[in-house]
Amino acid sequence: MLEQLLIFTRGGLILWTCGNALKGSPIDTLIRSCLLEERSAETSFSYDAPAGGAAYTLKWAFHNDLDLVFVAVYQRILHLLYVDDLLAAVRREFSQIYDPKRTAYDEFDEIFRQLQKEAEARAEEMRKSKQSNRASLVAGKKQGAGAGQRAGGQGNAKQKGGKAGSGKDDDDDGESGRGRGLSNGRENGIKEPSRARSVVVKGKDNGAPEVGAFDVNKLQRLRPKGGKKTDTGGWRASKAEPKKIVKKNRVWDDSPSDSRLDFTDPVDEKGDEIVDVGKTDHGESMMDKEEIVSSDSESEEDEEVESAKPGTEKKGWFSSMFQSIAGKAVLEKADLKPALKALKDRLMTKNVAEEIAEKLCESVAASLEGKKLGSFTRVSSTVQTAMEEALLRILTPKRSIDILRDVHAAKEQGKPYVIVFVGVNGVGKSTNLAKVAYWLVQHNVSVMMAACDTFRSGAVEQLRTHARRLQVPIFEKGYEKDPAIVAREAIQEASRNNSDVVLVDTAGRMQDNEPLMRALSKLINLNNPDLVLFVGEALVGNDAVDQLSKFNQKLADLSTVPNARLIDGILLTKFDTIDDKVGAALSMVYISGAPVMFVGCGQSYTDLKKLNVKSIVKTLLK
Amino acid sequence: MEQQMHQIELWVRQLPVEQLYAALAVLVVTFAFFAILHLLKPSKSTTIVLAGLSGSGKTALFYQLRDGSTHQGTVTSMDPNEGTFVLHSELEKKGKLKPIHLVDVPGHSRLRSKLDEFLPHAAGLIFVVDALDFLPNCRAAAEYLYDILTKASIVKRKTPILILCNKVDKVTAHSKEFIKKQLEKEIDKLRTSRNAISSADIADEYTLGVPGEAFSFSQCRNKVSVAEASGLTGEVSQVEQFIREHVKH
Repeated sequence: MLEQLLIFTRGGLILWTCGNALKGSPIDTLIRSCLLEERSAETSFSYDAPAGGAAYTLKWAFHNDLDLVFVAVYQRILHLLYVDDLLAAVRREFSQIYDPKRTAYDEFDEIFRQLQKEAEARAEEMRKSKQSNRASLVAGKKQGAGAGQRAGGQGNAKQKGGKAGSGKDDDDDGESGRGRGLSNGRENGIKEPSRARSVVVKGKDNGAPEVGAFDVNKLQRLRPKGGKKTDTGGWRASKAEPKKIVKKNRVWDDSPSDSRLDFTDPVDEKGDEIVDVGKTDHGESMMDKEEIVSSDSESEEDEEVESAKPGTEKKGWFSSMFQSIAGKAVLEKADLKPALKALKDRLMTKNVAEEIAEKLCESVAASLEGKKLGSFTRVSSTVQTAMEEALLRILTPKRSIDILRDVHAAKEQGKPYVIVFVGVNGVGKSTNLAKVAYWLVQHNVSVMMAACDTFRSGAVEQLRTHARRLQVPIFEKGYEKDPAIVAREAIQEASRNNSDVVLVDTAGRMQDNEPLMRALSKLINLNNPDLVLFVGEALVGNDAVDQLSKFNQKLADLSTVPNARLIDGILLTKFDTIDDKVGAALSMVYISGAPVMFVGCGQSYTDLKKLNVKSIVKTLLK
Repeated sequence: MEQQMHQIELWVRQLPVEQLYAALAVLVVTFAFFAILHLLKPSKSTTIVLAGLSGSGKTALFYQLRDGSTHQGTVTSMDPNEGTFVLHSELEKKGKLKPIHLVDVPGHSRLRSKLDEFLPHAAGLIFVVDALDFLPNCRAAAEYLYDILTKASIVKRKTPILILCNKVDKVTAHSKEFIKKQLEKEIDKLRTSRNAISSADIADEYTLGVPGEAFSFSQCRNKVSVAEASGLTGEVSQVEQFIREHVKH
């Protein structure tokens, strides 16, 4: 049965609760990792209480007009069919007795008990009717057709394995329930009468639990990262779209390449050179320059904010004004659809991955449904404001991105701060590693580079040149060595000569390449770096989703410790090549949850800056 | 077209002069009225802002001040809680009761931008710190506090700040002196790493403290004080004192 049902306001006050006390803090985790991450359009959320407590599934519903949230919590091994129904009924009844001034709703206990009984009764009825349907279906059917469809049904189960323990839903998520073949077959009351499933359920269900068991094990490994991980595990990479990356060689016809060539001194075998050229100041790194943001639009926003809620009052044109007065007051999904579709298209023209745009729009729709339109507002402006807030929320980092502070903290502890640069081929790892080194050197941090790209020809020499120009030590072991061992020795060397930071360069690798990903995982596990920086280029399109999710997944899968090290930060490169198609930043941040720590915007040492969240949001919605 | 213009001109000339003047006078008076209203508004500021990390107890404190109890508990806030009310403990007092406008801003890092909406009107800011679980969150709390202390709206208006150590009803809670010292040390370290960043004019941020000396809250231009409270049990007397001191009418 239900463990608990909670009703609380968006401001955080619990209005009514019923049920047993919960282990751990599932509600807070739900809010932090799901609802605030703009994943509120999903159907359910799984939570594991730490230290081997219970495993719960959470489902929720919003009442956007009254700013209320309804959450139902139950044990994951149960498959309660009536939860969605119950939540909708509770929402309906509670909104009738809700009063913003009241904080105690004891009379709701009775109403809730009644609703629960009704919902359970309805679910029982449906289950019984399905059983009778199934019985009649199975009676007159050939086994051959059944077996074929059963295989298809199993394929479906694999797909939906990602949704850990979701209860039954109105959509076809019912298949995932089959994976938990613990409860008896009758609990898997599935809505669509599918012959395949009936065969599996009624007869021996050894096929399904195996599929389910496999998924559960895989999910348990991913689970430490919370609900977010199960989604990444389950998403099918949208490989249907052809890769949109077009990496052309840039032809520099009239650039000052002559002077550049002058800097490249003729190198002898050892590469020892007079290095006065390297250490000259290239100027201030753009990390340290404040960005000049056009503030006129922002000042407008501030003035509006002085009045009531921000952004709900805007004057429309005459005709739409009349329409908005005369039209429906409460927003419904149908009203939101055209505005959301327009927004989604706009996001996609700005190079946001299609999946991400879709999920974002759904999440915004979930947060706006049922809200009352203010007077003199159009639907499109409400949707735009909500989307802007959502984007701002996603792009704002949820942990500090102050690397200098982290470096100082590590220095106090006496060990070097290790940063590993990972990414696919050709995104700019080595170049941006040099930029980061330059910035750190400018802030009086002693840096050491580790050449763990032992595969690409010239990689070690490239780093050697950078090291010489920046006058930092470099640890190299040549080619064809194990990168993990090289990294370990580099860190030992760094602690011996008291370097504050070790920058580890790795070889580029495609996210599908199993042996290479394993090697990377070994490097990270062996050395336990402080920061795993994923280097991604801003030109990437839908592939960003695939890259990041596969990288994270492989790092989680192949890790030896339960709390796997995943990608901690993103370095966005080639930002100067995209004019206003800045969507890759959004896709990457959404899919991985990691903040963008640096942005590379050019090919010289000073071209490194921080991400300006407000300007990106403005550009995305222009 | 020209004919119509000519006709309109003649018609305007025909109007009695008084009417024109009356119309103009009405317009001027209306503008003046609104201008005065607009100018008068900012001088009143009775807003107190509750800020702090997620989980420090701001929402519980908000309801404690408003209703005298935290009802059935709180969860992580997703939206700010605003209210204009008379402090619950003052309800029994007779005489004129002054309502205060209290705002509880969510502490989750993704919602930090909401703080900027309320700061320009704040008469005082209460920075709530979890005294029980202080050391693991010390750095994050210090960073948040540093960000607040360097915001232009705080420095220019010299907004008084109260660092409130919450949850002191528990036995293992740290003392306010310890917390104050730890925060000062952390902010000192932050100063060196953040000040290294911009040497040019900074539009939005100010530097803290005196260079060369260890940071201490007494070096801030605005008044920073420390107090203890417990949102759960209702020990909020020091908070109320701060509020009463700084809410002007």
